[in-house]
Amino acid sequence: MLVDILITLLKIFFILGVTVGFFAPILTWVERKQSAIMQDRIGANRADILGFRALGLFHCIADALKMFTKEDFIPRGANKILHTLSPIVAVIPAIVTFAVVPFGGEYNLFGKQVNLVISDLDVGILFVFAVASLATYGYVVAGWSSNNNWSLLGSMRTASQMVSYEVTMGLTIIGVLMVYGTMRLTEIGAAQENFFNWGIFLQPLGFFMFLTAAIAENKRIPFDNPEAESELVAGYFTEYSGLKFGMFFMAEFIEMVTIAALVTILFFGGWQIPFVSTESITSLFDFLGTTASNAIAMLIHVGVFFGKVVFFIWFQMTIRWTLPRFRYDQIMNLGWKILLPLSLINVLVTGAVILARS
Amino acid sequence: MAYYVNRNIKLTWWERIYIPEILRGMYITSRHFFLNLFGFIPYFLGKAKNRTIFTVYYPEQIVEYPVAYRGRPVLAVNENDRLNCVACGLCEAACPAYCIEILPAENSGKQNEVERWPKEFTIDMAICIFCGFCEEACPEEAIFMSNECEFDMLDRKQMKYGIDKLSKTTEELKDRIEFTRQITGKWNY
Repeated sequence: MLVDILITLLKIFFILGVTVGFFAPILTWVERKQSAIMQDRIGANRADILGFRALGLFHCIADALKMFTKEDFIPRGANKILHTLSPIVAVIPAIVTFAVVPFGGEYNLFGKQVNLVISDLDVGILFVFAVASLATYGYVVAGWSSNNNWSLLGSMRTASQMVSYEVTMGLTIIGVLMVYGTMRLTEIGAAQENFFNWGIFLQPLGFFMFLTAAIAENKRIPFDNPEAESELVAGYFTEYSGLKFGMFFMAEFIEMVTIAALVTILFFGGWQIPFVSTESITSLFDFLGTTASNAIAMLIHVGVFFGKVVFFIWFQMTIRWTLPRFRYDQIMNLGWKILLPLSLINVLVTGAVILARS
Repeated sequence: MAYYVNRNIKLTWWERIYIPEILRGMYITSRHFFLNLFGFIPYFLGKAKNRTIFTVYYPEQIVEYPVAYRGRPVLAVNENDRLNCVACGLCEAACPAYCIEILPAENSGKQNEVERWPKEFTIDMAICIFCGFCEEACPEEAIFMSNECEFDMLDRKQMKYGIDKLSKTTEELKDRIEFTRQITGKWNY
């Protein structure tokens, strides 16, 4: 019992450390540096400690210090309680989503089955959607409570965008659920051990639509109408400063990691390596004993999983720095007139194929 | 009334389905990304001397300005250690910002001395607009626009530059002198 609690705590600390402690700050640096390199610039490299610059990595620390020490400004006429509450409401769901995201398979360590997911819910994927949609309240309330026209417009756009793309996202997932016959993310991951069972081969259209809808949910360019700098000052977080602004920022980056992790699990085989099964790894290191070989397999799988996650983060960043912004009506057209019918057709075709094969 | 702007854009079917164009754009940006990424690494390891990125680290590296650049005006000092200036006052008259003040001195009959020279020549850099009219007006090749553009003071009084701060030898100003001769053609007629 005590061991179970300890293992769960370890997993929680690992996930928190990776998302909040590593990805969220590092991605601010990656965003700047990657955009710079893509545009033939150099990018942030001026922050230094004792003349040591480390390619500008210290900008993360400088950003954090800046956010901590800035004035926490609440505009006149704003609803103080909601204004303070909304960044928290926005950032918590982004972190909580990771509770059901598996980052490895099941391993036999010291005679104990360790499942590399914090809580293996039966309704895993539904939990992700339910919690991730809660973040919308944070964004909408943020715009409403800060007593600013631009913020309110931004939050209204967030709400409409969320409503439009949540439908597509849900319907896209149905295709995946039909193929694998389960909602548990761990089982979906385990079902993709065979390379040709990966979601990208079984649901190619679903992958593109899921990625599009997910980027739209995350409100990044090309779908960044809620925070369009040239139209609304900064959208729903115009009136935020200091760490509250930082929380919105962090929520965006953690959601990026969530999207990358979900795409990896649903469509790119999760922690699986193509043509290399778990048994082959454990049998290769079998001379070290069960625990050691399983531990090696675990480390390899976690590494592979986060490698895939990093690739999809890179992919999202490349999209963000390649495409121009959609107009509002174009976003709505794409959501309701193209993606929604396509996702319905996807469900229909998937069902027909499954029926024909059974 | 709605106004329709005809932009003469006819998209082909291939462009209208949009996904191939997204992929093409991403190919271009990621090609730049990887070329620059792997172009960076040898540069930072000190192996390649030329990098593919031409960003200048400004305070440490300064690009060479072209000769046509108009920085702060300076007075040319010839090889006899005297100013070329004869204090005629043409630049003072030509200056649209009234930033030049000249106090002339004249030869009082001594030998080995020039006819006229400026006793004081002050340019207020806080007022100067770097138009280069003084250079154009000067008949004696005495005042030139140098390539210096970085000068900052804590006090407006310090922005008044006297002869000591304005002087520059003709050797230093060689390129600019050549350039003005070509451009204004003063000495070509």
